[in-house]
Amino acid sequence: MITRNIQIAFSLICVAVIALPVSAQEEPAPVSFRKDIAPILINNCLACHGPKKAEGGYRVDSYSRFIAAGDSELAAITASNLDDSESLRRILSDDEADRMPLEGDPLPQEQTDLISRWITEGAKYDAENPEAALSAIVPPPVYPDPPEAYPRSVPITAIAFSPDGANVVAGGYHELTVWNAADGTLVSRIKNVGQRSYAIQYSPDGALLAVGGGAPGRLGEVRLFDAASGELKSVVASTSDVILDVAFNPAGDRIALAGADGAIRIHEVATGAEQRVITSHSDWVMAIAWNGDGTRLASASRDKTSKLFNTENGELLVTYSGHGQPVKGVVFHPAGDKVFSSGSDNKIHLWAAADGKKASEVALGGEVYKLTRSGGFVFAPSADKTVRQFEEGSHTEVRSYTGNADWALAAAFHPETKRVVSGAFNGDVKIWNAEDGAEIATFVAAPGIAK
Amino acid sequence: MKLSRTKQILTAMFAVLLATPAFGQTLEPIQVGTPAIVEAHPAAVKLFGNRQNSQLVITGKYEDGSVQDLTRVAEFTSSNPQVAEVDGTKIVPRGDGQAEIKVSVGGKEAIVSVEVSNHGQVDSVSFLYGTLAALSKQGCNAGACHGSPSGKGGFRLSLRAFDPVLDELTLIREDFGRRADVVSPDDSLLLLKPLMKVAHGGGRQIRKDDPSYQVLRDWISEGLQMDPEGHAKVVGIDVYPPSGRVLKRPAHTQQLSVTARFSDGTTKDVTELAVYSSSDTEVAGVDADGLVVGENRGEAAIVVRYLEFIESTFLTFVKDIDGFTWNNPPVNNYVDTHVNAKLQQLKYLPSETCTDDEFIRRVYLDVIGVLPPVEAVEAFLADASETKRAVLIDKLLDQPEHAKFWALKWGDLLRLTNGQVGADGVHKYYRWLERAFRDNMPYDEFARQLLTSTGSTLTNPPANFYRTADDMNDCVETISQVFLGARLQCAKCHNHPFERWTQDNYYGMGAFFNRIQRKKTQRADELFVYVARSGEVTQPRTQQQMKPWLPGEGDVENPDEIDRRRTFAAWLTKPDNPFFGKIEVNRIWGHLLGRGIVDPVDDFRDTNPPSNAALLDALAKDFAENGYDRKHIVRTILNSRTYQASFRPNEFNEEDVRFFSHYQPRLLSAEQLLDAICHVTDLNETFGSLPPGTKATQLPAPDLVNNDFLKIFGQPERQTVCACERTSESNLGMAIQFFNGPLVYNKLRDENNRFRKLLSQDMAHEDVVRKLYMAAVCRTPSDAELQASMNHLNSKENKVEAFEDLCWALLNTNEFLFQH
Repeated sequence: MITRNIQIAFSLICVAVIALPVSAQEEPAPVSFRKDIAPILINNCLACHGPKKAEGGYRVDSYSRFIAAGDSELAAITASNLDDSESLRRILSDDEADRMPLEGDPLPQEQTDLISRWITEGAKYDAENPEAALSAIVPPPVYPDPPEAYPRSVPITAIAFSPDGANVVAGGYHELTVWNAADGTLVSRIKNVGQRSYAIQYSPDGALLAVGGGAPGRLGEVRLFDAASGELKSVVASTSDVILDVAFNPAGDRIALAGADGAIRIHEVATGAEQRVITSHSDWVMAIAWNGDGTRLASASRDKTSKLFNTENGELLVTYSGHGQPVKGVVFHPAGDKVFSSGSDNKIHLWAAADGKKASEVALGGEVYKLTRSGGFVFAPSADKTVRQFEEGSHTEVRSYTGNADWALAAAFHPETKRVVSGAFNGDVKIWNAEDGAEIATFVAAPGIAK
Repeated sequence: MKLSRTKQILTAMFAVLLATPAFGQTLEPIQVGTPAIVEAHPAAVKLFGNRQNSQLVITGKYEDGSVQDLTRVAEFTSSNPQVAEVDGTKIVPRGDGQAEIKVSVGGKEAIVSVEVSNHGQVDSVSFLYGTLAALSKQGCNAGACHGSPSGKGGFRLSLRAFDPVLDELTLIREDFGRRADVVSPDDSLLLLKPLMKVAHGGGRQIRKDDPSYQVLRDWISEGLQMDPEGHAKVVGIDVYPPSGRVLKRPAHTQQLSVTARFSDGTTKDVTELAVYSSSDTEVAGVDADGLVVGENRGEAAIVVRYLEFIESTFLTFVKDIDGFTWNNPPVNNYVDTHVNAKLQQLKYLPSETCTDDEFIRRVYLDVIGVLPPVEAVEAFLADASETKRAVLIDKLLDQPEHAKFWALKWGDLLRLTNGQVGADGVHKYYRWLERAFRDNMPYDEFARQLLTSTGSTLTNPPANFYRTADDMNDCVETISQVFLGARLQCAKCHNHPFERWTQDNYYGMGAFFNRIQRKKTQRADELFVYVARSGEVTQPRTQQQMKPWLPGEGDVENPDEIDRRRTFAAWLTKPDNPFFGKIEVNRIWGHLLGRGIVDPVDDFRDTNPPSNAALLDALAKDFAENGYDRKHIVRTILNSRTYQASFRPNEFNEEDVRFFSHYQPRLLSAEQLLDAICHVTDLNETFGSLPPGTKATQLPAPDLVNNDFLKIFGQPERQTVCACERTSESNLGMAIQFFNGPLVYNKLRDENNRFRKLLSQDMAHEDVVRKLYMAAVCRTPSDAELQASMNHLNSKENKVEAFEDLCWALLNTNEFLFQH
C-alpha cells in the first residue's frame, strides 16, 4: 500500500514537473505515431525491416511489429522507458557499426527527438488497428509544388477529356495539367498530386476527378478532386506501390483500383472505405474495367493474365492466359459477354467472359497499352506510335491516328466533340478530329517547354 | 548431358564470384628507402571537360632491380591549381590550360604534364561508357542479380551489359519510365533501390560517394540521353602496370590504372568504372578502386573488365622465408630449369628425387596404366645403371599398352560410347585412336583428321567426331573446349561474363561448322558425314549473318569454298597458333603430374592463368618444333627431375600445391585401380564379350559393359567433352567397395589368386608376403611390416585366411590406392 502511494505520488510529481514548463509556454501537441513517427520509419527503416527483408528478425511495417522485439529479444520500444528501448538505442548509437540506419547517415536530431518524446509520452498508437500497415495509416502527404517550368518533358501516362470536352487533363510531375482542347494552351494546374499519375477518370456524373498514381516503389494512392474547382476532396487508399488504374462503377458509388502491389481494391466513393481487396494476381495489375451493371470486374496484369471477378464476393470467375505476355489493357464488350484485352504480345484479344475462350485477335505494330471504351468505340494506344479506333460491337478498325514521334501511352475520346487525344512517351499530347482523322493540336504537356 | 555442362559452367561462375575482393588485412607501411628513380604513370595527360580524372601510379625503381608502388605515399604539387590538382591520387581538372604535377617521394621527383580543355562544357554521360559501365561496376547486371535471364524483381538487365539496346529499353522506357525521374533525379528508383532507401532484394549496392552513383545521377539529370550516332567507340583498354611486376614484401600493394582507347584516337581514364577481380584471392585481393593487396606469396592475375573489354595484369608476390636457402637441385632438362626458377623466386624448396621403387610404380601407371610385374620391379631395383630410368621410359612408351591406355584418355574427350557412335563404330573409332598413339601420329595430323573428316563413320572412323558433335552448337563447344581449351557454352546465349568471348565469336566460329550434314545409311550403325555447299549462321540476338571468325584473327573473308573446316583446321594447326600446342602439352602435363600448369586442363582463361607460364611456353615451343610429337613431350616430362621428385614434402614446400615442388599423390583412376587389384591378386577380370585379357584400362567405351566398381570409382560416362567428368573425389561408396565390396572379396577368395598359387608351391610365408608387397607397392616390406605380417599369420589357424586378411589390408593402404 505504501509503495503504491509512493508510486502515485511520484507520478503526480512527474506530471507536475512535465506540466510546469508546458503551461508556461504554448502547449505542444503530443507526438503522433501516424503523423510523426510512421513517416520516419517508412523513409528510413522499412527498406531493411519490412515484409520483403526483415533484417535481424525485426520489422517496422506496423505499430505492433515496431514495438516488438526482433531476434535480439530485447524490447524494441518500451513505453515511457528510453533506456529499455533497443530500437532507440540503435538509432542513437555512437558506434557506426551499431547505429541505425546501418551504413547510412544518422537520423537528424529533430527526428530522433520526436521518437524519444513519443516514447516518453507513452509510445501511444493513434490509429485504429495496431496491425495495420504503416502505409495505410500515415496521413496523406501534402505534396510539394511541381516545378514552375519543367527541365524536361515527362512521359504522358494518363490523359482524359473534361466532361464538356473543352479541356484535356494530363498527368504531370506532382500535378495534373489542364489544357485547352482546341488550341493546346495551358488552362490550369491541379497541384498536390503524387509524383506520377497513371490513371485519370471522371466520375459518371462528372463531379469528381479521380487520379491514381503515387511514387514508384514507395507509395500508391488515389486522389479525388472536385472536378469543377480542382479542390482535393479525399485520398482513397494508401498502398506500398503505385496505383496503375482506377475505374468508377457505372453507378458512381464505388471506385476500383489496380495496383503495382498486385491487388485490386474496391472502395466506397463517399467514405473512402475499403470494401474489398482481391489479391488474385501475382504481379502488377495494370488495368481494370467494370461491366455494364457493375457486377463484374475485368483486370489486366503483368503476370500475363487477364481475369474476371464477381464484384459482390470477389470470386475469381475466369482466367485468360492467351497473351502469353504482360497484359496492359482491358475493357468489356458492350454486350458484357466478351472482354477486350491488350498487351505486350502487340495484340488485342477478344475473349468470352463465360469460359475465357478466345474469339478473335488483332495484331498491332507494338505493345498495346490501356484500352478505353467510349462513344461506341474502343481506342488502343500503342508503342507503334498510333492510336487505333475500333467499332466496339463489330470490333472492326475505323481509323488510326498517326503522327506521334514516340510511343502512344494513353488515349481518350470525347464523343460529343468527336475528339481523340493521345499522350506519348516523349511528353507530347496530340488531339485529332475523329470525323476525318485530321490533327487539331499538338503540344508538350509540360509547362515551360514549348514544342 | 546438358545438366553436367551446366554444372561445369556454374562451377566456373562461382569460382569467379568467390573472387570478390574482401581483404581485412591491414596494409604494410610502405618503406620508401632510396629509389634510384621515381616514375609517374601517366607521364602526360589530356583532360577534356570537367568530369574526367586520371589515376596516378607512382613507381619507385631501386638499385637492386626491385620495384615498389609508391602511389600511396607520394606527394603531389600542382604548378597551376587553377588548371589541375591532385585529389587523393587522381588528377582532377579545374580549368582550361596547362599545368605540371610534381611528384615527390624518397627524395626523388617526377613530373606529369597536364592539359585541360573544354572545362566549361558539360561532358554529358555516355549511356554505354558511363551508365552501363556504372551498372556493371556495381554488379547490378551480374548473373545472380538483374543480369539473370529473367531479371530480378521485375527488373531485367542484359548480362554485363552485352545488349545495350535491351538495357536502353529497360532503363528508360519500360513500365512508363518508372525507374528514372528526370525532374527530380534523386527520386529515381534506379538510385533509391541500390541505396536501400527503398526496399531492394539485393541490399545496399551503392553509396553516394561512389563514382558510379555520380555517373548514374548525372545521366538521369541530363535527361536519360543515348549516345549520339557515330560517337567514338571504345576499341580496347590498357592496364598499368603491365604483367610481370614482382612485389616483395613489405611492398605488397599495387595501384592499377585503366585507360580506354577510343576509335577517334582519344583515351580516357576509366579506373573508377572498371571492375576488378583476382584469379587467386589467397594470393592477392583487389578492391573497387583498383588497389591490389598481396596476401601470400604466389602469383595472381588481376582481371580488369570494362564492359566487354577484358585485360589482365599478372603480378608475382614474394617474401623472405626464414631459414630458406636454395639447394641447387639437379636439372635433367628444360622442364626443371623453368620449374626451379619459379620455385627459387617464390622460395619453395623442391623435394628430393623419388626412390626407384616409387619411380617404377609411378611411370608404369602413367605410361601404360598398370602396375609393373613383380619380376620387372625386381630387375629394375637390381639394375645399377645410371640411365635405367630413361631406358625404362623409352621401353614403356613403345609398348602396345601405352597406345591403348592413352586412347582411353582421348576416348573420354571424344565421347566414345556405344550409345553415341554405335556398337560397330565404337570399336573402329577406338582402334583408330589406338593406332594414332601406337604410330605416334603427329598431333596436328590427329586434329586435322578429326576436324575435316567426312564419309562413312565405319570406313573413316574420325568422322564419328561429327557424329558425337551432332549440331553446330555442339561442334563449337566441343572444338573450343578440346582444341582451344575454352569453355564457350555461355557465349551461346550472351557474351561470356568473365572472359573475352562474345556471342558474335560463338556464332562466328559456328560458321565453320554449320554446313556439316549427317545422314543415315542402310547399314546399321553407319552415319554418312558430308559438307553442304551453302548455309550461313545467323546470330540470334542481332539477326546478323555471321562471317566465319577465328580467335585472334577476326572475320575470315575468304574461307575455303569447298569445306570451311579446312580453313579452321589450317589456322588451328599452324605452328604459331597460340592455343593449339599449349592445350595439348598442358593436358599431357596434367595426366603425368596430376595437375595442369593451367588447371583445369581444358579451362584456359585470363581468370585462370598458368602457374608457370614460361614452362608452358617452353613445352609448347618444343612440341611445335618437334612436329607435334606427343611421345617426345611425354618422354621429356618423364625424364625431368620435376616428374621424378618425391611426393614427400619438406619444410619449405609443404604449402605448395601448384608449382610442382613435389609430386602430388593421387588416387588411381577407376580403370587403373581395377587392373591393380587384378594385378595384385594375379587374376583377370572379364568384360562382357570383350576378348579375355582385356584390361579395364583398355576398354573402348564405358557402356560396353556395366561394371559397378568402375562407376563407383569415377569412370566417366563420356557424356561431355569436359575433362572434369572423370572425378577423383573420394566417397563413401569407394570405401565400402574396399571394405567388403564383392569385387575385392571375390578376388581374395578366388582359388587361383596370387597367394594361394604361391602357397600351393610351398613358398615360405615370408616370401609370399614379400611377393605381395612387390606386386602391390613395388617394394619389399620393412622389417616391422614383415614382423607384423608374420605375427598375424602365426596367430591364425587357417593360413590361407590369414593371407586373405593380409592382402585385404595391403589393398586398403594409401600406398596401394594412390599413385605417389
